[in-house]
Amino acid sequence: MGETAETLKEFEQKQEWWWAAEKKRSRRLDYLRKAMWKKGAIGGLYPAGLYIDLERPVMQTEKAKELEYSPDPYVIKFAKILAHVLDNKTIFITDHSQLVGYLGSLPNMITWDPTLAAILNHEVVNDPTSIPEPMDESLKIISEVTGYWAGKSDLDKILPHMDLDDAMKVLSGAVGWGVPLSRGGYSGKDYEYIMTGVRAFEDIIAELDRKIDEADEKAHEPGATREICDLYDKMNMWEAMKITLEAGIRYGKRYARLAKIIAENFEADNDRRQELLQIAEVCERVPAKPPRTLQESLQYDLFIQLFSRNEAIEGAWPARPDYYHGPYYERDVNIEKTLTKEDALDLAGEFLIRAAEVSQYKVKWAREGLQGIEGTWVWTLGGVKKDGSDACNGMTIALLQAARLVRVANPTFAFRWHPKVKDNVMREIFECIRQGLGYPSIRNDPILIANAMNWHGHPIEEARTWVHQACMSPSPSTKHGFQPMRMANATANCAKIIEYVFTSGYDHIVNMQIGAETPDAAEFTDYQQVFDAWVTQMKTIFSILVRPVNRARMLAPKMTPRPFLSAVSERSVESGLDVCDPSINRGNAWITAFTWVENADSLAAVKKLVFDEKKYTMAELKDALANNWEGREEMRLDFVRNVPKWGNDDDYVDGIMLDCLHAAAKFSRELKCPSGNNWPILPENVSGNIHYANIVGALPNGRRLGDALYDGGISPGPGLDKKGPTAVLKSCSKIDHITDGRAFLLNQRLSPTQLAGEKGYQLWKSYMKTWADLGLDHVQFNCVSDETLRSAQRDPEKYQEVIVRVAGYSAHFVDISRKTQDNIIQRTVQGLG
Amino acid sequence: MPTCKECRKFYPLEEDPGKGDCVQRVIDPRQAYYKAKPVDAEKDAAKCSEFEKNNQR
Ligand code: SF4
Repeated sequence: MGETAETLKEFEQKQEWWWAAEKKRSRRLDYLRKAMWKKGAIGGLYPAGLYIDLERPVMQTEKAKELEYSPDPYVIKFAKILAHVLDNKTIFITDHSQLVGYLGSLPNMITWDPTLAAILNHEVVNDPTSIPEPMDESLKIISEVTGYWAGKSDLDKILPHMDLDDAMKVLSGAVGWGVPLSRGGYSGKDYEYIMTGVRAFEDIIAELDRKIDEADEKAHEPGATREICDLYDKMNMWEAMKITLEAGIRYGKRYARLAKIIAENFEADNDRRQELLQIAEVCERVPAKPPRTLQESLQYDLFIQLFSRNEAIEGAWPARPDYYHGPYYERDVNIEKTLTKEDALDLAGEFLIRAAEVSQYKVKWAREGLQGIEGTWVWTLGGVKKDGSDACNGMTIALLQAARLVRVANPTFAFRWHPKVKDNVMREIFECIRQGLGYPSIRNDPILIANAMNWHGHPIEEARTWVHQACMSPSPSTKHGFQPMRMANATANCAKIIEYVFTSGYDHIVNMQIGAETPDAAEFTDYQQVFDAWVTQMKTIFSILVRPVNRARMLAPKMTPRPFLSAVSERSVESGLDVCDPSINRGNAWITAFTWVENADSLAAVKKLVFDEKKYTMAELKDALANNWEGREEMRLDFVRNVPKWGNDDDYVDGIMLDCLHAAAKFSRELKCPSGNNWPILPENVSGNIHYANIVGALPNGRRLGDALYDGGISPGPGLDKKGPTAVLKSCSKIDHITDGRAFLLNQRLSPTQLAGEKGYQLWKSYMKTWADLGLDHVQFNCVSDETLRSAQRDPEKYQEVIVRVAGYSAHFVDISRKTQDNIIQRTVQGLG
Repeated sequence: MPTCKECRKFYPLEEDPGKGDCVQRVIDPRQAYYKAKPVDAEKDAAKCSEFEKNNQR
């Protein structure tokens, strides 16, 4: 023991937190953490040992064939296919686990849903790295499945109803990414309906039965109205919801049965036998009935998440686990004392692991854009309750502590800071940051609540329930406020805006006219003409991306319904309408603005060097950009070095940033979602700065084709913020974080040495005070030294567990590309104080 | 012809013994677990490489 204690101390002193965590965590957590198959793709390819799961595609296909000539409407067929999978898929229980459930048939399997898109299915065919052996047999299955779903998948069905011009521009991959599908993006949940302990699946089924009976009676009374016509669809929808909930209950009971079989026939250890019987009891209870304990609550949540991901590819995991599981923690740990704090920590840690191993096969560009992780699963902690009081509780602390013990890179946390957060919670957050997790990111709760009210008109009580819909964007978790699907293709590669100013909208990378045909930039005679062209390109690109989403949202209820997500959503249970139906949704759309800051720095460079100082002409600049700055290195360096850069509290460039944001904000109110609400922008990047490096041409900020873009949001370019952290904050504070956009990502790198001890905490706290006083909505920190990161590049095997903040998410450093690694090292380490 | 119900890994459902679960122990490079998959009691086990005659049932 003595030796272990000493070693732990040594690791802590050396700030090798990953080894320290291994020493500190319970034997159970240590086993489960090491048992976990990491699923994030590395360099776009899945790691060795992972395979595409063919079990589910085969089941989906066989059931679809069986139902082909059945008279059931589509939504019921869809629900029956989902139920067939849940009833028949292989399930497993890992040794030492207390929470159960996984999407795939085995722990190292990545699930593939062939019903979504032919483009996805084609990637499976061509992905030799993850096709299971025997290859010939697998390829035969893949070919049969892919052949069956060709023309029947969601995207195949939707595309003919889209504007082809817009669709081709989106699919070119130059200005946006993602596809407009209601079963492929980020699904919020109506947690206020399903996670407050008031009801569970059996209660909803009873409600659905009532609805169906009432409707059936009404539909057969004497008379004929439009309302009666609508009732037929509603009854089908309610029936489909019921099918999925009943399948969910049976799925839980399958685990109960397996746990019991293991306990009674295999397990020799008495303690483990008891745990297995406990799992059996839990899974008999949930999701059928509301949870009573923390374990039941976590299991219930996990089942819901898994069912929803059986229905759709969900690239995000909007959640508020401390808020919804906190009451159970409080009861078990503090009131009834049926659970020790250590036991609760084990459950919290395992919950993180269960989430971390979830995986769904994605197209390569999505894997490249999300290097090292499965999706942007940013869980929301802290914040206020509906009445405005502090929502932090014992579960907040347990999750923060558990995160340091299991050190998964996904999910990560984002903490809703507000002035009433207690010091003990802030210290736990600081420990996570200091120990190099890169999370939680910190969100300014009062600002973001006001922002949600400003942009989308969410009432204050609903705005206060907000969770992260993806990395950054808040969405309430209420009946009309929650967002059933954020389709990721309204994600703009904004560096193209300034690029297209110089090409009159022609994209030389993908060789097509994508932007507006603005006048020849070589002929511009003043800066205003440049800016006007910029506004036109911005409006054009945003519109190209938003229109397909709007269209897909209109088509979704009939063509790509979500019966399970509808079944756990009050508005759908009440109305009989699909959860994506715009008429029952307030709307919470946003445009993610990748590669945004390049615009401000580029426009500032043009204004200063071309129009103020007249050192170059527009024709010269246009020519230099067209030739990727080749033969113009001196000129390029002038554009890099001798112009003001965003992030240095310089009004020249900061003013241009505001002009761009104000123009975008104005247009955001003209762009409307099908619910009639606005489309504000949200600058952030995931790892789009690397993904787009070879897609964005040369820019006037001196960047060449192939160079990494800035790391995103409103973060200054790496190494370009030369005036210290306060200047960065001051530049960012010139933005109105309530009215200028939906949210703004800011990356900061801090020195681990400076953050050591109590002094480090006080320094960080005073930085956070300045941040809050200046009204910024977001900040996140990397706190791993250059030395450690360089060592990890040299000797990745030894540094497998080092985590870094990439953009809106964290990843294990060794799992991201060399280019992204270098980009993170290049970011300025800010000295505080 | 052997069937699943004669196999040690077959666990019939109490309410419907014609159906059951095939329960197997698996140890992969990272973890050990038990897995279960629904099977019919009368399913042909002749080609199943995991079949183990159950002498107790
Ligand atoms: S191992 Fe084979 S024979 Fe035995 S129950 Fe399973 S499927 Fe049937």
